[in-house]
Amino acid sequence: MNSINFRMKQKMNEVFSVEQNELGIGFITNYFKKITSYLKTAPFIFVIPLAISISLFLYIIFGRLLVKLVTILQYGY
Amino acid sequence: MATDLITSFVLIVRYLILLIFSPYKTMRKISMEKDYYQPAIIIGIIFIYFKFIYYLRDKLYPATLVYILFIINFLLTVAFFYLLSKLFAKNKKEIRFSSFIFTFVYSLFPTLIWFLSTSILYIFLPPPRTFSLMGKGFSIFFIAYSLSLLIWKFILVYLAVRFSSKQNFFRIIFMIIFYLIWFIPYSIFLYQLKLFRIPFI
Repeated sequence: MNSINFRMKQKMNEVFSVEQNELGIGFITNYFKKITSYLKTAPFIFVIPLAISISLFLYIIFGRLLVKLVTILQYGY
Repeated sequence: MATDLITSFVLIVRYLILLIFSPYKTMRKISMEKDYYQPAIIIGIIFIYFKFIYYLRDKLYPATLVYILFIINFLLTVAFFYLLSKLFAKNKKEIRFSSFIFTFVYSLFPTLIWFLSTSILYIFLPPPRTFSLMGKGFSIFFIAYSLSLLIWKFILVYLAVRFSSKQNFFRIIFMIIFYLIWFIPYSIFLYQLKLFRIPFI
């Protein structure tokens, strides 16, 4: 029982190690919490489609420049 | 010692997988870590990476020199965020330098993965990219892949600062902008010296 209490206390300390984020305006804080909740667990579910969409969009806008950028980036390691 | 190292290595792999699936909870746990073998092993893996790319690059500078410069960059970054957090913090005692070290070392994983994969791709698919269908397709894939890792990196850096400095969103964004103000010209300077093309941070 003591060990469960200890673990519980430890977990609570961990969870409350930082204060909640308050952005000043109620509805903005709510939106912020909603958006960040998607990024806290399995962010790649949202990140991968977002990255693919952005790169397709960049290709449509910049065309060949994107191919040249990749060449530069490939030399960038 | 050997058992400790193996245990730490297993923990690193576990944390790495968890950073992909639940970065928030994992970074919070990492910020409370006290096992110094973990950052030492990660920094060691990065040293192996620098030795590996030495054979691919123009060999202008020895790998150890570039690696020492990376360590200096890393320490400058950590010290910058630590000192700024100390300045902002109400309770200065809860700000620990070790917490910054642990979280920032783990936030190097997206960088390491990108640099390692790009250098391996350099061997199998050397640039320049062509304007053929395959070249364009690969370019779109490579940008998407790089962007995903960049977003992951940004999430990890934000969480690293959040759990180490215990500051709110606006202050963290302010700290990151303040950091970029000196780090971007510094990176250009390193680029001109041909030490880093893209800063390893």
